[in-house]
Amino acid sequence: MSSERPKLGPDIPKVITAWVSATGRVVYLTKDRNWSEDLADAEVLTGAGATDILAWASKDQTRVADPYFMQVTPDGKVAGRETIRETIRAKGPTNHPMFGKQAGNN
Amino acid sequence: MYRYDEFDETLVRERAKQFRGQVERRLKGELKEENFKPLRLQNGVYLQLHAYMLRVAIPYGQLSAKKLRQLAMIADKYDKGYGHFTTRQNIQFNWIKLAEIPDALEALADVEMHAIQTSGNCIRNVTSDHLAGAAFDELEDPRPWCEIIRQWSTFHPEFSALPRKFKIAVTAATPDRAAVKVHDIGLVMKRNTQGKTGFEVMVGGGLGRTPYIGPTVREWVSKQDLLSYLEAIMRVYNRYGRRDNKYKARVKILVHELGVPEFARQVEEEFANQNAREKVLLPQEEVDRITAYFAPPKFETLSTKSATLDAAIAAEHHFARWCRNNLRAHKIPGYTCVHIALKPQGVAPGDASSAQMRAAADIAEKYAFDDIRVAHEQDLVLPHVKLDDVPAVYAALKANDMHASNAGLGSDIIACPGLDYCNLSNARSISVANEIQALFADPEFEDEVGALHINVSGCINACGHHHVGHIGILGVDKKGEEFYQILFGGRADEKAAIGEIQGPGLRHEEVAPALKRVISKYLELRTSKTEKLADAMTRLGQAPFKEALYAAA
Repeated sequence: MSSERPKLGPDIPKVITAWVSATGRVVYLTKDRNWSEDLADAEVLTGAGATDILAWASKDQTRVADPYFMQVTPDGKVAGRETIRETIRAKGPTNHPMFGKQAGNN
Repeated sequence: MYRYDEFDETLVRERAKQFRGQVERRLKGELKEENFKPLRLQNGVYLQLHAYMLRVAIPYGQLSAKKLRQLAMIADKYDKGYGHFTTRQNIQFNWIKLAEIPDALEALADVEMHAIQTSGNCIRNVTSDHLAGAAFDELEDPRPWCEIIRQWSTFHPEFSALPRKFKIAVTAATPDRAAVKVHDIGLVMKRNTQGKTGFEVMVGGGLGRTPYIGPTVREWVSKQDLLSYLEAIMRVYNRYGRRDNKYKARVKILVHELGVPEFARQVEEEFANQNAREKVLLPQEEVDRITAYFAPPKFETLSTKSATLDAAIAAEHHFARWCRNNLRAHKIPGYTCVHIALKPQGVAPGDASSAQMRAAADIAEKYAFDDIRVAHEQDLVLPHVKLDDVPAVYAALKANDMHASNAGLGSDIIACPGLDYCNLSNARSISVANEIQALFADPEFEDEVGALHINVSGCINACGHHHVGHIGILGVDKKGEEFYQILFGGRADEKAAIGEIQGPGLRHEEVAPALKRVISKYLELRTSKTEKLADAMTRLGQAPFKEALYAAA
């Protein structure tokens, strides 16, 4: 059973997120088409062209797995109906503050 | 405990080696994720919220000290020093790196373990009563039959691409501690009218988005015919189970849509039409060979009472409470079953550190015939402990913070990992469970409330078995906010029942206060301390408890 993410229209600011293939670490696509573990480095996308970038990211399978759009505010903060999920994903489990990026040791 | 023969050994080693090659191809980019995903799932590897997760099979929940120490080693070397015991008697490692999983699988193979049948549309790891072989109330030890089913189902070529996953549970006791009625197939060992031991067969139970209590499709099948009969069930399911819609693909949907009589008729027809070549008739010597692995340990002849234990109970209040709540009757005089509740206040239900795993292994080796079980309640159990040794076992558990004295009580909560870890989840489970646990921080209050099963799931997939909790809690997503639906009236035992959703969902912070009101109402309305919450709900109906649930704080 796979997890299905909400569809985001072209006008909604978004970033592309995925998992590093080798480690499973959460990453975000940057403007120079690299992957960063820091959401602050992610390129905020709007407009129809974002779909092409996601298609490109989906082919970058050696580096990452399962890229998808994640809603953000125009300045790149987690937003939308998946805010809790993506905040936990970005920081780490709320019950284990000693694990995950929040502890610097994902 | 069953020991691998050369075939088991070869099979598990070859599988680990094969997966190493698959991982290498994936990391070189020769395998795309979409092609790799079914391969990794066949080896228990999921991609979760923060990292890969490895689910390791613990067949019918039985471990030895050596195996548990190896799990502790894997937790330390490849994960973050802990593991999470699940409602299917397995263990999960939440932070493992894909590149290191082949090494972890090799390490598992070193102690006759693997991650096969922990995912994918196959017959999954067989589960059983965690007191099997020790319980005073069982007909006979069901573990040999669990092992026989495991061997029959592992890599069975006909059933390796089923419409959906398939779960089998076996018990031999009248009090059902294995939740057999909410499995795809539930088997209960029982005698027929001639006094011969066989199995009652239930098919089509399950939880998830469409919960059902499994109906009995055959009152009794002989031991000799068991595998043939299971094969007949699997064939009917494999042939007619839906493959067009994964939400309707479980056997419970087929049983429901055909109706129990028609499903049973088709199984009987398939069973009757099996020719001699198709029958899976186990040679008695093979049954005996496997049964021999589960021979009882060398119990001593002891008194039913232990002066040592009685003195220790009289001397320490907490120890007395722990004995009252965490010990279970054993079939041999002078012995007991020790329930190690992995549910101290504030800890994720089912989590154990590597140090705790090693401590449990040491204790099992020294005091419990090297036998450790994982209960589907996400606790550990030492099935055979001398009453005289109970104080020493308790002291050793206490030294490792494993002496929670709440087995079977309100704070012994079953909970899935929820949105803190799971990629499918809609809402957090662990934090809700911890807030509810805090209601029972006063041991006297918790004892006053008595037996209470609270189950929390973070989504409709129901890994926390919320449908069968006396109080069930289901996390849902409501426009991006976590809400929790509350169910009353569920049971996982021999009187299994699906709980009913009471009404609108509650916010995260509202759940524990609402449950506090429900429990207060129960204490007000019960006829006596012996009337448990589940029984009070049966007697009074759910209305007064629902009213309390939604009453203004």
